[in-house]
Formats: sequence, C-alpha cells, structure tokens
Amino acid sequence: MLRHEVVVVGAGLAGQRAALAAIEAGRDVALLTKLHPLRSHSGAAQGGINAAVGAEDSVDTHIFDTVKGSDYLGDQDAIEFFCREAGPTVVEMEHFGTIFSRGPDGSLARRPFGGAHFPRTIYAADRTGLALLQALWERLGGEHLTLYEEWDLLRLIVRDGRVQGVVAFDRRRGTFEEIAAKAVVLATGPAGRIYARTTNAHSCTGDGIALAYEAGAALKDMEFVQFHPTALLESGILITEGARGEGGLLKNASGDRFMATYAPHVLELASRDVVSRAIVTEIGAGRGFSGPYGGYVHLELMHLGREKIESRLQEICDFARHFAGIDPVTQPIPVYPAQHYMMGGIGTDAKGATNVRGLYAAGEAACVSIHGANRLGGNSLLETLVFGKQAGLAAAAYADTAAAPEMHASDLDDATGPLRAWSAKPDGEDPSALRAEMQATMEQYVGIYRDEAGLLEGIRRIRALRARFGNVRVVDRSQVYNLNLTDALETGHMLELAEAIVVGAYARTESRGAHARTDFPKRDDAQWMRHTLASRGPEGPVLSYAPVGYTRWDPTERVY
Amino acid sequence: MAAGAISVPLEVYRFDPAHDPAPRYDRYTVELEPHVPVLSALLKVRAEIDPTLTLRYSCRSAICGSCALQINSKSRLACETPVGPEIERHGRIVVEPMRNQPVLRDLVVDQGPFWHQYDRIDPHLRPDPAHPMPVDAPTSMSPEQVERFKETPRCIACAACFSACPAVEADPTFPGPMALAKLYRFVVDPRDGTTQDRLVRIQTEGLWLCLRCHLCTEACPKDVRPSERIRDLKEMAIAVQGATERGSRHAVGFKENIRVAGTLNETRLVRQTDGVVGMVGQLGQGLRIWRKKPELLHRPKPIQGQAEVDQIYEALDDAKGGP
Repeated sequence: MLRHEVVVVGAGLAGQRAALAAIEAGRDVALLTKLHPLRSHSGAAQGGINAAVGAEDSVDTHIFDTVKGSDYLGDQDAIEFFCREAGPTVVEMEHFGTIFSRGPDGSLARRPFGGAHFPRTIYAADRTGLALLQALWERLGGEHLTLYEEWDLLRLIVRDGRVQGVVAFDRRRGTFEEIAAKAVVLATGPAGRIYARTTNAHSCTGDGIALAYEAGAALKDMEFVQFHPTALLESGILITEGARGEGGLLKNASGDRFMATYAPHVLELASRDVVSRAIVTEIGAGRGFSGPYGGYVHLELMHLGREKIESRLQEICDFARHFAGIDPVTQPIPVYPAQHYMMGGIGTDAKGATNVRGLYAAGEAACVSIHGANRLGGNSLLETLVFGKQAGLAAAAYADTAAAPEMHASDLDDATGPLRAWSAKPDGEDPSALRAEMQATMEQYVGIYRDEAGLLEGIRRIRALRARFGNVRVVDRSQVYNLNLTDALETGHMLELAEAIVVGAYARTESRGAHARTDFPKRDDAQWMRHTLASRGPEGPVLSYAPVGYTRWDPTERVY
Repeated sequence: MAAGAISVPLEVYRFDPAHDPAPRYDRYTVELEPHVPVLSALLKVRAEIDPTLTLRYSCRSAICGSCALQINSKSRLACETPVGPEIERHGRIVVEPMRNQPVLRDLVVDQGPFWHQYDRIDPHLRPDPAHPMPVDAPTSMSPEQVERFKETPRCIACAACFSACPAVEADPTFPGPMALAKLYRFVVDPRDGTTQDRLVRIQTEGLWLCLRCHLCTEACPKDVRPSERIRDLKEMAIAVQGATERGSRHAVGFKENIRVAGTLNETRLVRQTDGVVGMVGQLGQGLRIWRKKPELLHRPKPIQGQAEVDQIYEALDDAKGGP
C-alpha cells in the first residue's frame, strides 16, 4: 500500500498550489491527477486574474464588486480575505515566472472585465490560465513531490469521522491502488460536462465533488451554474470576456447593440448572468440569428483593428479561424451562451476545510463561497491560487498532528467491486448514451431559465438515468488505459451531481444571480439569502440551509 | 445525415500490447460536416461504434495539448484538424499515434521520453541571488522584453514537434524542439540568473544536433517556431562562449569557408570543425571519398560573381549576424 501524509487530487492551479503549500510546510505530498498537470483545465482560462493594484482602484472596490456580482450570496468575510490576498498572489505568481502582458512602463497590464468598476484584470494575452499553469508547474516541479499521473480517483476512505486515504485506478497499468493519507485535498475542478453545451473540457466531470458527496461531505449552492455569454457557436469553445473588455460589441440580427436594453450603464460589460439572459431573451424574441446549431448573436471585434485583435486576443483569433472558419478581423463571431462555471461545489470554510475531518477542497470543485450566485470574470483564477494555498496549509497543519491513517483490508475490494461488476456483465447500459441523455436533460430543463414544471421533469429524468446507471456495462476488457471504464466512472459521478443541481434548483423559489426562475422572477432575501447544503441520502439529496457570511454590505437591487 | 455532411472513411491504428500480437488498422466510416475536426470523428466512433478505441483528449480547443496524433502522416492536433480538407487531399483519414514515443495502446503513447527531455533542460526559473526580485511588487518588464519570448509562451507541450523531429528519431540524446524552445524561454527571461550557464551547458547537451529541417515549426499548432528559437540559441551560445564546440565550430567554419571563394572547400571545413588533430581521425573517411568522388577534395574552382558574395558577407558582418 502507498502512503503519504497529504494527497492532493487534481493538478490544475488549485491542486498544484495546495501541493506547494503542503510541501513548504514540510509534509510528504503526493499529487494524483487523471491528466498530466500541464493538461489541466486551468490552462484553458483566457481572460485574466483580478487584483486591485491600480492607483484609482482599491481592495474595497474589488470586495464590493464581488459581493454585488454574487447577488449577495457570497460570504462577505471570505470575500474580504480573498480580495486582500489578490495583490500578493499575483506578485508571487509573477516571481514564480509567469509571463504577464505589460504596460509601456513595465507594470502589469490590466483590462476591464464585466461587473468591475475599474480595469483590474491582469492578463497574459488571452491565455492567462496557461501562463499561470506553466509557471506554477515550473515552480512545483523543482520540489520533492510524488506524481500519480493519469490516475482516476475511485473512492475516499472515511472512517471514524475522518479521512484515512483514497482508492485510485492507475489507467496505464490498469491496477487498483490504495493510498493511505492523513489528509486529502480535492482540487478536481468542475462538472461542466453535465451539460450538452459547455466551454469545459471533456475531463471536467466533477469526480472529486461526487466522491466527496459520497463520502459524506455537504455540497453547497449546486444550483448556481454560470453560463458564459460568448461561447463559439456549435463547438461551445470559450471566447473570453476579455474580447468585450477590449471593446468587443454584441449585436442581434438587426445590428442593434441590444445590451443597451438590459444594462444601460455598462452594456457588454455587465455581469455574465445578465448578459447570458439578455442573449437568450433576444433569441427567444426572434431578434437573434438562427441556424442548424440553434439561435445565436454576433460578437464584433472588427472595429478594434487587426493589430489589437491579433496581439491581445491571439488565441481566440485562432479559435474562430480554426473552429468556426471565421476571421474576427473582418467578420463577426457567432456566439451563444454555454455552461461555463459552477459556483457551487464541496462546501468549505475559508481554509478549505469540509465537514469531514481531514478532507479539504479548493478551486472550482469547492464552494467557499466567494462567488455566491454568480462569479465575476477574473475571480476564478484568483480563487484557485488563494484557496489552493489555504487548503494546502490547512491540510498540512492537520496532517502534522493527526494520527496515522488506518486502511482496512476490505477497502480496496469495497471500492472496486462495483467497477469489476460493470466489466463482468454480458449486457447493460452504454455509459456514453446515458451521458448524452443527461446532457440533453440538463440543457433543456436546468439551463439559463428554469421553472417548476421543467425542474420536476428534470428530476424525474435524472433519477431515471441514475436507475439505469445501476445496470451500466463496460465492454472494454483491456487492462491498459481502459477509457471505457473511465467513461462509466465519470458518467456515474456526473449523474450524482446533476441530481444535486436540479433538486437544489427546484427548492430555491427565487431568482438570484445565475439561478433564474421564470415562475419566481424576484430575489427573495427574506427567505433565500442563505446557502443550500446538499447531503447524500438514500433517496437522493437531503437539503438544508446555512446563513451567508455578512460584514458590511447590505443587499440592494443589482443593476448594471 | 446532416445537411452538407460527407462520408469520412477512417483508418485507425489499433494495438493493445497486452492482447494483440501485432498492430492493425481498423476501418470506420462516419458522416460529418467537412469543418468538423478529426477528434470529433474519433469521439463519434467511440460513442457509436467502438468504445474500446483509445486516445487522449480533453479541451477540444487546442490549449491542453492532449490530442496530438499522426493524421495522414503529419503530426497534428486532432481537435483542430478538420476532416474535409483531409478527405479532399487523401480520400481517407489515416490516424496513427505520434512517433518517437512508444505506444501504450492504440493512439495513446508513453510520453516519458518527451517529458524526460523537458526535465533535462532544467525548466525552472532560477533567479540570480545577487539581484533579488522586488519585495511585494512585480518585476518590471517592458513590452519589448516580453516580445523577446517570441511565441514560446504559447507552447502547450503537445509533443507534435517531438513526434515530427528526425533528429529525435536518430539520436535519443537530442532534447528535441519543445525542450529547446522551453530553454529559450528561460534564456531570454530577464528574471533568470543562469542564462550563461544554460547556454554553455546546452552546447554540449544536444543543441547542435538539430538538423535545421524545420519540420517542428511546420508541425507546431501554436506557431511557436521551435527551429527558429534553436537558431537563436545557437547564436546566443556562440556569443557567450565563442565557437568552442564541434557544432559551433562547424557552423562558424562553414560561414568563413564560403567567404573565401563563394563555394564550399570540404577539406578545409573538416579542419575548421575538428582542427588539425581531428582531421587525422577523419582520414579514413577522406580516403573513401577520394576513391569515390575525388573532386570533392579538390580546391573548389573560383566562382563567377565573387563580388556579390563579398557584398552578402559585408551585409552579414554589418548585421552582426550569427554563425
């Protein structure tokens, strides 16, 4: 059996930062990931990372913008900590070697982003996530670290109210492995692939969130799913908010800058939930374009000129050319909203601790909550680094004093029994088919606009899919890199989370941030300014509620 | 079939070393619109025809670097290679794993050799202790300094260049295009304090093994242009250390050799590269050439237009060009 003091699962920015913090605290750390660290989805983040470092800007304004952006569901105490850490975090990443874009005076260049009072988003062209991921891996790679690369997490072993270790699957050798650990940090990213239209990578299947849920951790605010306003038509590939930050315009089929109707003060730079709803409303009213991939609107960059487009928006220029056959220098980019981010996740405090002793979480897999009901662009990269570090430190401190973990002889068999049964069946459900049905269901019933009838239908369908998943079958018999087994694992994880999302959305009879109920169009602070907590019960998610952390900002109506 | 869809015949390399005696090619046909990438075709096969087809993929937007493959014999990202032009040009799409890395299964290779070379160039920022970074503030870096990185920050470590490189195939000690482009990224970083050491070290650790074929630059999906950065590294290495290594002596010798008579004097080039003593070691080779093609060893005949050659060299000297 393998043994480490701290096991970090997921090697994107949050996981790597957690690992670095735990190593610097003197712990023996393993990093377990189903991808090579440099292939993590953090690398796909484009626009930038927020830090109020400009002379006109202030940390207080960053705090206020984040609180308002969250539609008053973010915990204000955690947000204050988060925004204060922004400056030092960006400086640290610069010192680690991040190649940021620069202003003429040699300072870090900043661009405007949605929902922010000042240009506060520091960037590396339109590949900020990649720049940070490279620099952090170059930093972490020089440390003593055990890397379990291309391993799938199968189960968290929790006994006597605390984490004892994990069971995992080594894809390349096809072996099941036990790792005893005093503390586990989950930084496994989001589950965007629950939806048919998503900017997320294929690997974003919420494995860590689902396994934490299974192990008794409470999930927080799962119903809050962010839809990015500008995904490339058909493929759903992200077109950064930075495109609008640099001056890009949204236009409907009549050529109108329709955002004037929905956010008269800031137009295209309103918060993401606002812009996504505006686009869906325009398309629904027949003012969008239509085609074989559904309704869409135009994102225009042409007026910015070739030089600016090709230097500051180099990657999305390539995306539009390669994936849509569109040259943004001369043509508008066809875009529609697509699932982009999960505000919810494994419930943690500001140190990354969950309700399970020894279990920590950070990054998009976690919910502190900083983002509340809607995340601002530029805050997620920051979150991965700020709370990745906190979770790593907390896990290291816990592991320093915790008793040795106890794995039982039966742990491996218990965790892998169901998987072995999937492969032994002569007949059964195809995981890819179940996945496709789940994605269509979530798209149709749990999308940007929701209502009671649709959500009830969503619950019914997801539960039916979960029942069918009980009969899932893996046809691939190979020991080596059995992706068919991974398909089944991931589909099972996503179905668990889909149920938590739709049940939470059904219960929340208000509209707040990204959760828009057409049957309850108003925000209801008296009843609903509180976090949803979902615990796994035998009949599905059991919901309870927790208060929002409050310091000094009273909720007001959110207008952009 | 969707409107505008075409028939896409695929021939996909299949091999599970644990079960198969030898690799085979499985044929599948899927219906897709021409702009759809090869990755979508392969995922369609996995979802609808054969879930045992094994490949790496994740972001499907050319940023994670997972899905580099050989597509009709070219190393490319499956996610950004549309099926239409491949069918037009070749009538079918042959999909094979990348080269220069052993196959684990089907299209999945063991990237160990690639990452080994990456690790070898010490891919870590090594600040100069004598010039500590500012406290609580970012390092100042002008836009011009950022320009010096060229396109190297765009590298997604997909290994398409490593797969396409004949020098990697010929000599496993060659770091390969990606690692050298990564080295360049550290060498030009104003925050790195080990630039000179890096350049001196790489002179004897494979820099001069590059064949200058530019296949890496052709293969790179992010326009990193590794071969051009390798050329830059060579120039910088000579500037730091002079032409003291066999590779750099050969390069400088080549330039000076042609300066004399506008054409190559092979015999003298051997002396310029290996020195008089080294020439002794090449005597056997010289004898073989003398038997087969004695004219190669003659002093070359003067060429017409020596004045133009002189002009080219004057321009080169003025530009303080490299080797």
